[in-house]
Order: sequence, then C-alpha cells, then structure tokens
Amino acid sequence: MERKNFIRSLMIGAVSTPVIIEACKKSSISDDGTTSGSGSAGTTASTNGTCTVAPTETEGPFPTKSPASYVRSDITDGRTGYKLTAKITIGNLNNSCAALAGAIVDIWHCDAEGNYSEYGGTSMQSTNYQSVHFLRGRQTTDSNGLVTFTSIFPGWYSGRATHIHVHVYNAAGTSLNVTQIAFPEGSGTSLALVNGYSKGLTGYTYNNADNIFSDDKTGVQIAAVTGTLAAGFDLTFKLNVKA
Amino acid sequence: MPKKIIILCYRKIIDDSNANPWDKFVHEDSFLEFKMQSQLYNQELKYNTFAELLINVPGADKLHFLVSAAVTGYLRQLNGIIPDVLDNLGRRFLTFENFKFEIINSDINDIERHKIAINFFSKPMVWHDTVDNQLLVSLEQTMEGEEIFTNLFQLQPFISIHSIKDLS
Repeated sequence: MERKNFIRSLMIGAVSTPVIIEACKKSSISDDGTTSGSGSAGTTASTNGTCTVAPTETEGPFPTKSPASYVRSDITDGRTGYKLTAKITIGNLNNSCAALAGAIVDIWHCDAEGNYSEYGGTSMQSTNYQSVHFLRGRQTTDSNGLVTFTSIFPGWYSGRATHIHVHVYNAAGTSLNVTQIAFPEGSGTSLALVNGYSKGLTGYTYNNADNIFSDDKTGVQIAAVTGTLAAGFDLTFKLNVKA
Repeated sequence: MPKKIIILCYRKIIDDSNANPWDKFVHEDSFLEFKMQSQLYNQELKYNTFAELLINVPGADKLHFLVSAAVTGYLRQLNGIIPDVLDNLGRRFLTFENFKFEIINSDINDIERHKIAINFFSKPMVWHDTVDNQLLVSLEQTMEGEEIFTNLFQLQPFISIHSIKDLS
C-alpha cells in the first residue's frame, strides 16, 4: 500500500466507527489532511482498539441515481395469470376534465390467488430484493393524460370484489386522489370468463355488496374491460382529479 | 467444535449524517418515497412524523414495505455484496439476496429527521471454528476431506448471527 493511502485509511478510521468504514472517495477528504467541518457530532461509543481492519479494496461500484422500483410499465414480476393491459386516463376536474399531463399514477392489486406483495408477518422475516414489489407500478401521464400498465387479471379475496387500487399525485408528489377501480360483472364479462381463477366464484363479494363499491349506483368506478382468456384483457378507465 | 450453518444480519443505519454517495441516494430517495406513500395514511395531513402515523393510523406499518421500493434499485447496484463489512484481509466478502428495510424515524417536513435501516441477510455460511476473536467461515460446503476456501472476520457492532443450524 502506498504510504499516502495508508495514512488516509488511518484518518478515516479515526473519525468514523469501524462498522461504517466505507471506501471513501478522494473528494470526501480535504487535501490538507483535516476533516473538520463535515458531519455532525455522533453518539456512537468508541470501539477503537478492537483491531478491526480498514478497507483495502479498489473503490466502487459507484452508485447512480435510481428511481423507485415501482417505475415500470410491466408490473407482473413473474406472477402468472391472464394478461391484463390497464389504460388509465387522468382528467382535470378544474379544467373541464381535460387530459392531465405529468401526473404520477400508482396502481397496485392482488395476484391470481388474492395475495398482495408485502412483508411477511414477523419482524424476523426477510425478502429477496429482486421481485418484492410485484403487481405494483408507477407511471407518469403523457400529453393525453394516459398511463399504460401490463399486468395480470387480479384474483379476489374474502370480503372484497375484484379491484385495482389507484393513487394519483401531481408532478411534485402531492396526493390528488386515492381510489379503486371495479370490474363489470355478469355473463360474458371478463370477471365471468376468468371465474375467480382456481378459487372459483363461490363466496365472492359482488360490487353491490362490496363496502367500497356498493354506493356507486351509476357505475363511475367500474372500468370498461374487453378481451378473451387467450388474447388477454384490455381495461380502460378515466379518472378525474382536482389538479 | 461441531460445524454450524449461520446467516448473518448486518443492520446498516442511514441518516442525514451519512456522507458516502450510495447512502445519500438511499437517504434522499427513501425520504421522497415516504412523503408520497405516507399520504395514503395521512390524507388530511394531520400528522407529521412516522411515529404519529404508527400510533394513530391502522396499517401505517406497511410504510416500511411501501417505501422500500425506493431502495431496491440501489440494492441491485451492490451486485449482491453486503457493503461495509470486511474480512480480516480488508475485503467485503458477505453476499446477500435477502433484505428488510425499516423506517426508524421520519418527518414529512424535515429530511434531517429521516433515519432508516437496511437489514442485509447474508447467504448461509458454514461456521468452522473460532480463531482468537474471529469467526472462520466459508461460503460453500464441500465433500469431507476436500480443501475449502475460508474467510476470517470479527463480529462488529450492528452485525449479528440471525439464524443458526447444526450441520450433521
């Protein structure tokens, strides 16, 4: 090791706890050898003298800015089911419901068995980071106010009609609306064709008995859904918010 | 000693004082995601802090999971290597696939009060022996009598043995 680097590694060790020693970039240490004027007074007790090693590796990998893993159009993450393409258009109630561009739209729904992506029940449980947020997505509306997601047809769970959650934000991330999208019912509809996947529809809660959708007498929360099991389904929905 | 299979947990704490670029990205982006997602549980903006949300709003504990999407992109950039933890040769050597993200404290109006933890869970390792104050471990098992490559390292603050299993 070069003498200069060796001295630098000692300095790093002296001002930080051993556990957070990280390969520091050269720029993070001033050239005159002092480290005054950065960070704040810590509360960590000294573990100096425990004889831990300082990092002796090539620097890197260097991080790059990375958006939330929600930001993608295909949200299936390997979940299997009948394909569903969801086209959601956001309108502005304060502008005659004209298309709202630049709005952030989050959607999430359950898988074919009726399960959401979430952490397990106990605090000891860990999750693989590769596909932890399945069936959750985020897109920004285009000039037509449109976002498009590729997903699977949601399953159902006890007490609720089939639904998709939607959260709309303005471009700055301020919440504009939180709602849910319902599905049309009856013979020949997508809901009847999918038939609740492997569960069937025994014990299913229909929209008129659902505690979210039952007050929607005119069907404004019900999307238009077309398609077949073989080709997949297309869902279209217009949501107007005050922006 | 009888060999055991262990999984280590490293709880990396990140707050406003962390200086390295990866930590800063994680801190800033998880704060923005907290501000967005917390509105689901705070639609009238009655509360400012994560602690208030936990006490007053059922389901607000899901924010740990919901905000974790802000950091998974950065976890990918680590290429499966747990940061900061070094073996006695001064190299990072722990590999991971599993994690758990925690919001420790936050305030929608003050990023300086935003403090999070990422728990990294190592892949299972064989604990062969303890040499002085160091653990002698290997990342893979081999057949009896074969040579095996090992790492020697010392348990440090914020590192714990998460699970243990006897190797018969």
